[in-house]
Amino acid sequence: MRILIVEDEKSLADIIKKGLEEEDYAVDVAYNGEDGLFMAENEPSDLIILDIMLPIVDGMTILKRIRKAGVKTPVLMLTAKDTLTDKVSGLDSGADDYLTKPFEFEELLARMRALLRRNSEAKTSMIEIGDLVINMATHEVKRRGKDISLSAKEYVLLEFMAMNKNKVLSRTALTEHLYDYNFDLDSNVIDVFVHRVRSKIDRGFEKKLIHTLRGSGYMLKD
Amino acid sequence: MVSSIKARVALFYILVLFVILSVLGIFLYFSLSRIVYDSIDSSLLSKAKALATLVKDSGDETEFNFSDEVMWEYNSSRSLSFFQIRRVDGKILEKSESVGNLELPFSHYADKTAFQTIHFKGKIVRMINFHVPADEEHSKKEHGLIIQCAEGIGDQIDLLKTYRIVLSLSVFVIMIVSSFGGFLIARKALTPVKEISQTIDKISETNLSERISSNSIPEELKVLASSFNRTFDRLERSFNRQRQFVSDASHELRTPLSVILSQSEIILRRERSAEEYKDGLTAILEASRLMSHIVRKLLTLARLGGDKVELKMENRDLVAIINEAVGLLKPLATPKGITINLSADEQHVISGDRAALLELFTNIIDNAIKYNLPQGEIDISIKKEQGFVVIEVKDTGIGIHEKDLDNVFDRFYRADKSRSKEIGGIGLGLSICDEIVKLHGGKINIKSKLHEGTIVTVYLRGAKN
Repeated sequence: MRILIVEDEKSLADIIKKGLEEEDYAVDVAYNGEDGLFMAENEPSDLIILDIMLPIVDGMTILKRIRKAGVKTPVLMLTAKDTLTDKVSGLDSGADDYLTKPFEFEELLARMRALLRRNSEAKTSMIEIGDLVINMATHEVKRRGKDISLSAKEYVLLEFMAMNKNKVLSRTALTEHLYDYNFDLDSNVIDVFVHRVRSKIDRGFEKKLIHTLRGSGYMLKD
Repeated sequence: MVSSIKARVALFYILVLFVILSVLGIFLYFSLSRIVYDSIDSSLLSKAKALATLVKDSGDETEFNFSDEVMWEYNSSRSLSFFQIRRVDGKILEKSESVGNLELPFSHYADKTAFQTIHFKGKIVRMINFHVPADEEHSKKEHGLIIQCAEGIGDQIDLLKTYRIVLSLSVFVIMIVSSFGGFLIARKALTPVKEISQTIDKISETNLSERISSNSIPEELKVLASSFNRTFDRLERSFNRQRQFVSDASHELRTPLSVILSQSEIILRRERSAEEYKDGLTAILEASRLMSHIVRKLLTLARLGGDKVELKMENRDLVAIINEAVGLLKPLATPKGITINLSADEQHVISGDRAALLELFTNIIDNAIKYNLPQGEIDISIKKEQGFVVIEVKDTGIGIHEKDLDNVFDRFYRADKSRSKEIGGIGLGLSICDEIVKLHGGKINIKSKLHEGTIVTVYLRGAKN
């Protein structure tokens, strides 16, 4: 899952990025409104964490602009403005959630998970596909009750495919959603990861979950 | 004591009414009683005179020529008309049958006619002592007669009693009806006051914009309403200013607080290398320093704005204080290559608080350094002008946009937020300066041109000699 943070307080933005990366998210950071707007419009993100008081272009303007441009990415406002009016106008301008500073990192993570599964069929942090169970809060994966050990990148790939189950995902789409802006796009890497994940969850089971669609990409199917 | 105006007005009204009605009642009662007694007395007098004509007194001998016609009235023992004839020495010469074995009392020797009310035969009776002098020829003073003539007046007394009761009852009823009326009138008169107080009750912390509407209020109370409204205007303004200040202050503190919270929370989520711990702690330290700086400035402002400002107003050498401020800030100016020139041709003494004045000039000169360009200049001049000492601090810095000039004294106002953040300005310096100058009875002005520089002018009262 790829997250965009737009926050002008550098030390805060950097520590959130660090914390999220340790939770296996791919994270991009913009330190001012102008960069934030550009990245929100041009980079595929699964979630945007947006401050309101920003130099050059403020958060509300960014929000209105990207919603007008048809960007449907969930937006979580993270701001020091805590009056009812601020919250209402934020949510009415197209934000999906509102968290005020200072905040607990655990709460930010939980709210992010809730927003991220909003567009998928998953309604809790547990995704079940046939006999495969993924716990998005603890990153534990089980098939037919048996623990499956995955590396961070393997887990992220599986989670993204699970949240978009029964949809064909191209190599480019997978790369874009799993790596941040600084990653050099090489889709072969994705093939390698898909291969590894498939060997861990499908080997030894009769029903195969990961399918290759020649020429278009991959799909996780129940 | 009754504290409600309504009750007081009603009570006062009732009291006045009671006094008036009582006086009227007493007057009416005594007038009637006078009329009744006058008519009884005149009838007694004519009876006595009539009897006198029938008596012939020659000193030693007295002759009575009573006819039946005259006497029938007095003859029955049950009659309530009595007469008795005495000598002036009290000796009874004749009495009517109605008097029976008793005698009409003879209480005083009088050679003039007098009336009295007495109890006789268990009845209330009015009696005249009519003095008939002796004939002149045999005149010896003691030979005169006294004709006592009496009549029962029970009916008249009863009439007066009834009249008294009717009067008292009327007063009582009028009092009750009027008290009620008085209460209604007082309430009616006080309705606008009640309306005003209801409006005032509705005005609370969350609802300070409510005002007393002057449409439905009588002329007399309009003054009250408008002074209430003015007070609420002032309260609302000051309350909003305070609320804005608190919200700004909390907003300013939130960002460094988030940094501290997130840094420590995320760092503690797992084992780290020494390097990572160090980075985290450094970030926390920076955020804490910023917070403590903000809190210190806020406290200064709160202290200056409070009602117990402790300022030691004494004669101070202003040039020395400004020199001290310059000395304190030199270490910040030197690395940027900024030169500070102070020109004062003479000594300037003003009355003020040393610490506050030092804070004032440190803030102004600090701004001149912060917002100056590298290799810039700061000129400080001090001169006298119409009883004021005028201090001008001029820099060659980035300047302030015209639209921002009006707001620079507002708390937490920063013309350029991102630049201020780099420089470390928190937007409280000029507010503090403004407070200090006001406390010294002076004023502070700021003039600026974008990209050319800013001039801060402080006017302070010169010390009286």
